Amino acid sequence: MSASTLTIARRIILQLIRDRRTLVLLIIVPLVIASLVGVIVPDKTTLDYVAPPMLAVLILFFGFILTGISSLRERSQGTMERLMASPVSRLDIVGGYLLGFLGFALIQTLILFFYNTYVFDVSFRGDLWQILVFQILIGTGAVCMGIFFSILARNEFQMMQFIPLIILPQIVLCGLIWPVEQMPNYLQWLANALPLTYGVDGIKALMVQGQSLLDIGKDVGVLAGYAVGLLILAAITLRRGAAS
Amino acid sequence: MVKRGPAGLAVEVDKASFSYNNIKAIDELTLQVPSGISFGLLGPNGAGKTTLIRLLVGLLKPKSGSVRILGKTPSRKIAHLIGYMPQLHSLYTELSIIQNVDFFARVYQLTDKHQRARRVEEVIKLVDLWQRRKDSVLKLSGGMRQRVSLACAIVHNPPLLFLDEPTVGLDPELRVTFWEHFADLTRQGTTLIISSHTMDDAAHCQKLAFLRLGRVIALGAPAELRAATGNAEATLEDAFLYFIKQDEVKQNVG
Repeated sequence: MSASTLTIARRIILQLIRDRRTLVLLIIVPLVIASLVGVIVPDKTTLDYVAPPMLAVLILFFGFILTGISSLRERSQGTMERLMASPVSRLDIVGGYLLGFLGFALIQTLILFFYNTYVFDVSFRGDLWQILVFQILIGTGAVCMGIFFSILARNEFQMMQFIPLIILPQIVLCGLIWPVEQMPNYLQWLANALPLTYGVDGIKALMVQGQSLLDIGKDVGVLAGYAVGLLILAAITLRRGAAS
Repeated sequence: MVKRGPAGLAVEVDKASFSYNNIKAIDELTLQVPSGISFGLLGPNGAGKTTLIRLLVGLLKPKSGSVRILGKTPSRKIAHLIGYMPQLHSLYTELSIIQNVDFFARVYQLTDKHQRARRVEEVIKLVDLWQRRKDSVLKLSGGMRQRVSLACAIVHNPPLLFLDEPTVGLDPELRVTFWEHFADLTRQGTTLIISSHTMDDAAHCQKLAFLRLGRVIALGAPAELRAATGNAEATLEDAFLYFIKQDEVKQNVG
């Protein structure tokens, strides 16, 4: 990892820390959602099944929207142009974003994990470190997706429109609301093309069935493929975005 | 030590062209800028000043022709030798002045902690904002942000500095202060490429290129350009209008 990647990650963390309101919201919003789910879901068995996928959904959602808006602001404020004219590489920028935002996303995961465990008595199986590694995979894809789609948006309002277009279908089709196997064939095909389906499948296997990362090789492989592909795509599209 | 290109050239542009979606922004432009001077790119909005600077700092690649700075094609390898102050303030508004300048010092590989801290302090003092160093950029006025932006561009002491409309929106007093900073930098051997559309800025530059429709229509020292009009009392504005008319005639004949 290069010094430039660390420099950019450090700056992102500093920006979030100095923006106290955003920082507080980043902690409170997942807790509010977890509380709602905890109160609405009637029995503990169902909650044990529903709570783990929430971790995957939230890391995808926050990773996408935080990175997307930050990257968009970086372009509209002209700082991306400044960075692209500096010795920093595009991979350094994407890597810096990944490190900076994944740190916050993992803190959110931990807060949700312990909140669900101790407040709603949700039973989890499997190792916490394996859950975190898997969350990093989902988060990496989300952060790179955020950078990539921010290139297509001209302002924050347009970026917000990508939530119903990119994130919502994934939440609906990932198996959280309805099992993928019971969907019509064409929807199963679509669900199987979306990363969150593998994220939810994997996190359920890790946390509900107590499986290991090796047991869910297919989910890990597909998410890793998505992460690498989106990382390359994000790095390629950065230049076009900087000078537009 | 100041790095130079062949024959002491800081910038060489040879028949470079660039277009955005079939709209020509730079049209077979040729230009040479010697090292160690303040060089003004003057022209109205849409003349191609910002596009030319973006080509020179490596943000854009020419569709044809070539661009060289300090004897090399602009790339990440030589990016540490240039400073760039874009038209927008281009700062992280949540961060403080010192955090912004320190970030760009790190980006430009000032790795030694003490040396970096010393240099960051030096440039913030230079733009007279040391007392406000802990304030977030969000709280600063436009002129102050412009000063922070300049500090970020010069923190790594580059031999070649690109300033895209650096004095836009500044009050007359601050404008004078900026030009004093620029004069100090050229005295130290830095080459300054400054884009502007005001003739007030032009008068401060040692050499000027008048740009129109992506081409250089006149090149020379301010006094030479004024003299070219044949009117002893001509201002730079008169000279600019004179060359535009000449160019129009040339284009119509062509």
